[in-house]
Amino acid sequence: METVNQVLEFFPYAVLGGILAGMICGFLGIFVVSQRVVFLGATLTQVSVAGVAFSFLHLINIEGMVASLLGVTITEDSFLHNFEPAFFSLLFAVIVVLIFSQTYKQKVLTQDGILGIIFVVAVALRIMFIQKSPIAEVSEVESILKGDILFIGQSQFFTLAGIFLFTLLIFTIFQKQLKFVTFDAESASAHGINSRLWLLLFYIVVGMGISLTTRFVGDVFTFAYLIIPASIGLLVSKKVSHVFLIAVIAGGIIPPISIFLAFKYDFSSGPAAVVTMFILFLLVYGYKKLRGS
Amino acid sequence: MEKEILKFTNVTIGYGKKKIIENISVIISENDFIGIVGPNGAGKTTFLKTLLGNLKPLSGTIQKNSHRFGYVPQRDTVQPLLPYTVYDVVMMGRYSLMGIFGKPTKKDWDAVEASLEHVGIQHLKNYNYNSLSGGQRQRTLIARALAVEPNILILDEPTNGMDTPSHYSLLNLISRLHDDNKLTILLVSHLLSDVANGVKKLILMDKDFFQFGNIDDVLSEENLQKTYSSEFHVNQINGEYVITSIHRN
Repeated sequence: METVNQVLEFFPYAVLGGILAGMICGFLGIFVVSQRVVFLGATLTQVSVAGVAFSFLHLINIEGMVASLLGVTITEDSFLHNFEPAFFSLLFAVIVVLIFSQTYKQKVLTQDGILGIIFVVAVALRIMFIQKSPIAEVSEVESILKGDILFIGQSQFFTLAGIFLFTLLIFTIFQKQLKFVTFDAESASAHGINSRLWLLLFYIVVGMGISLTTRFVGDVFTFAYLIIPASIGLLVSKKVSHVFLIAVIAGGIIPPISIFLAFKYDFSSGPAAVVTMFILFLLVYGYKKLRGS
Repeated sequence: MEKEILKFTNVTIGYGKKKIIENISVIISENDFIGIVGPNGAGKTTFLKTLLGNLKPLSGTIQKNSHRFGYVPQRDTVQPLLPYTVYDVVMMGRYSLMGIFGKPTKKDWDAVEASLEHVGIQHLKNYNYNSLSGGQRQRTLIARALAVEPNILILDEPTNGMDTPSHYSLLNLISRLHDDNKLTILLVSHLLSDVANGVKKLILMDKDFFQFGNIDDVLSEENLQKTYSSEFHVNQINGEYVITSIHRN
């Protein structure tokens, strides 16, 4: 109980932010898994990290521009102080999403092939950006750009809350269109729904969610929470609404438990969150197997 | 004289700069039942995409009167991982009629029920689409297309991969939809036998070859030879076409 109190006292936003990040990934993961674009999730996490690394080069002073527009100073504004990495993370992810959404126009390369190219280029660029970063310690840069649940502060928490609400809002308002185009885009087009436009919106929202979550909680956490909670939901439920509910609940429950375990047994919080989620997956899978279904 | 719905005049179809078939002229009228037949890779899907408006023609004009398509894709292209029910899937057919922010109303629920009843799967409406047999899935997709209340029903290879009873049961359903509801139907198939004894008009197509007209005019040994680069005998027995392929060693 003492450990729980300590975690809540020292890392309240880490706990709350971890819950939100898990819920965002659990929700978006259902679409990533059911659309069979798991590799897009992996690629977007690496692209987002490359975007953060790019921000450390300080080639474009976005923060300064926004600060002068808003009439505030960067040091006074904690949100703005962290704006540039999040901005480039998001920008890189949206560019990749736009490229990916156009791949249907060509028939020479497979979508997997294109994503594979983007994936390795993103990893390579990240390394090159870090090498040219003015911050001396490469390990320090690596830890900053990979994100960590424990570093989630108030502004990151509110950003995650904003992403969560925005994602829910978009998927609630445009539920019909997004449901149809992700189920059968060809027929949706034939029936008068602009599949290209709606799929573009869908991928942009997914890209935004993945890139900003990656920025705050790391690529390993994000990718794992895109895949595993959704897989648990699909394993357990025979109703679409229950799949969403289970994936979002699983995504939200495990991070605080894993932060507690990481704190108690002195592990990194991100990997602990992934392994704890995997244990839950194994338990669910084993239970399903034992019941013979 | 039936009202014209769609008119292709000297249309060339293809992707990018690649022409697949040139100078297509087709008129689709109300109450038509048209079969579209050709070997694999003949350009049937490209023609369909152009007709549906998903692909722009490379040249020529397409005139469209007010119409609504009901589209039934190839069954294998729809393999969802999410456990949608049959009812969910058929309701999707109503989405384009609800407007961007609209919610399903009694009219939509009634239309879905009527579509399910039409294709004889009302008892399956709460089943998961994934748990259905091939024939039941195809009926679900047809019900979804009917829920649109279409002027033209387009079916892309609807009997692909089906066992024989399901195959003929589905062809009977399609014929019934045309006969009872006066629905204009375009049936795409690579199987001549599927269309020869059902449709009124025929499109025979292969690369650089396109024929359209009444079935009696188009279904000739000469045209089949041009389409399939193989010889056929076309006979009529008791008013039914019997088409046999001539194999020579």
